[in-house]
Amino acid sequence: MNLDLNKKKLREINQLLQNVGREKNNRSFQILNPQGQHAICAGLKDDIEVSIKGHTGYYCAGMNKNASITVHGNVGTGVAENMMSGKVIIKGNASQSAGATGHGGSLIIEGDASSRCGISMKGINIIVKGSVGHMSAFMAQKGNLIILGDADADLGDSIYEAKIFVKGKVKSLGSDCIEKQMDDKNIKELNKIFKDLNISEDAKKFKRYGSARNLYNFKIDNVSSY
Amino acid sequence: MGYGKSINIFKQTGNPKDVVRKFKLSSFSGTHAIGHTRMATESAITTQGSHPYSTSEDECLVHNGSLSNHNNIRRSLKKEGQKFNSENDTEVAAGYISNQISKGENLEETLKNSLKDLDGFYTFIAGTKDGFALLRDEIACKPAVVAETKDYVAVASEFQCMAHLPNVNTAKIFEPKPGIVYHW
Repeated sequence: MNLDLNKKKLREINQLLQNVGREKNNRSFQILNPQGQHAICAGLKDDIEVSIKGHTGYYCAGMNKNASITVHGNVGTGVAENMMSGKVIIKGNASQSAGATGHGGSLIIEGDASSRCGISMKGINIIVKGSVGHMSAFMAQKGNLIILGDADADLGDSIYEAKIFVKGKVKSLGSDCIEKQMDDKNIKELNKIFKDLNISEDAKKFKRYGSARNLYNFKIDNVSSY
Repeated sequence: MGYGKSINIFKQTGNPKDVVRKFKLSSFSGTHAIGHTRMATESAITTQGSHPYSTSEDECLVHNGSLSNHNNIRRSLKKEGQKFNSENDTEVAAGYISNQISKGENLEETLKNSLKDLDGFYTFIAGTKDGFALLRDEIACKPAVVAETKDYVAVASEFQCMAHLPNVNTAKIFEPKPGIVYHW
């Protein structure tokens, strides 16, 4: 089904997609003329497929649950922010804070992502086929940020338990972020993510980064404050 | 409001649509134009507090962000003879640019110097009679997007503002990198 944002209001289209229901047979949708509008496909609950033909604005596919959303263009700030599950694919580039606070599911960015990609991520898998901007995975708590290109300054600043994998160069690591050993378990895990998402990459070519666990929250002495 | 031979500045408070209509902007022609709608934080909503700012002939500046050390910079620029008409932080940045250019720096070098002298967060677009330049501070909280085609260059805070431009969907679209001066 084609949904044209030149003819229908954004709210009308979002409400239709948010309430498809399990009994409906038509589960494939195309959004035309997005024109950089905000919050397109936010809060989709059902396992439907949506293809967006053009560039989108802020918070596209935010809070996604089960939908599979593909954007044939660039996306603005906070694509797939707070995503819970499902899959979001960006064919172009993503602006800042892509996948912010994401709890689960997969966000695949085929171009570059700019600054603060995966900020405060909480379990999502983010795969960036290009490069990421500065301060990516800032305070990242859980999940995997996988970068096939390079990472700009201060990668993984104040990171908790999320894992970062980078194939290219890292300009600099942020506070409390260190390179970690890429052991067999990590290689197996990363290869499984690639296999599940149909990405032909070899985990052995990646370096792993994570928390040195030296900041305040990791110090047992600070427990007495509570 | 502006002065000089090549750049006209029109600004007023009110609905942008009404301001555009009042000044008959559709009848204008030229090589480059800069527009700005202000959400006031550092000084009052007045024509004086509106952008673009010009503190010298054929120079103008618009700004998204706020500067934290504008009072200090204003004081030191006043000592060097720079005049200010408002308490606005952006006017200080415009004064800073005019001051540097009057000392013989070009626009690109001036904006590079501003990275170390101006504290705060900002996306700047500065225009002169020859062209315009774009700079985001190194933290890059304030957004910007550029669309380039063989016919034009457009810069805006977000893609939505340029979605109506001809052939924009096939333009080269990119987000300017932090701390890098782009010049056209």
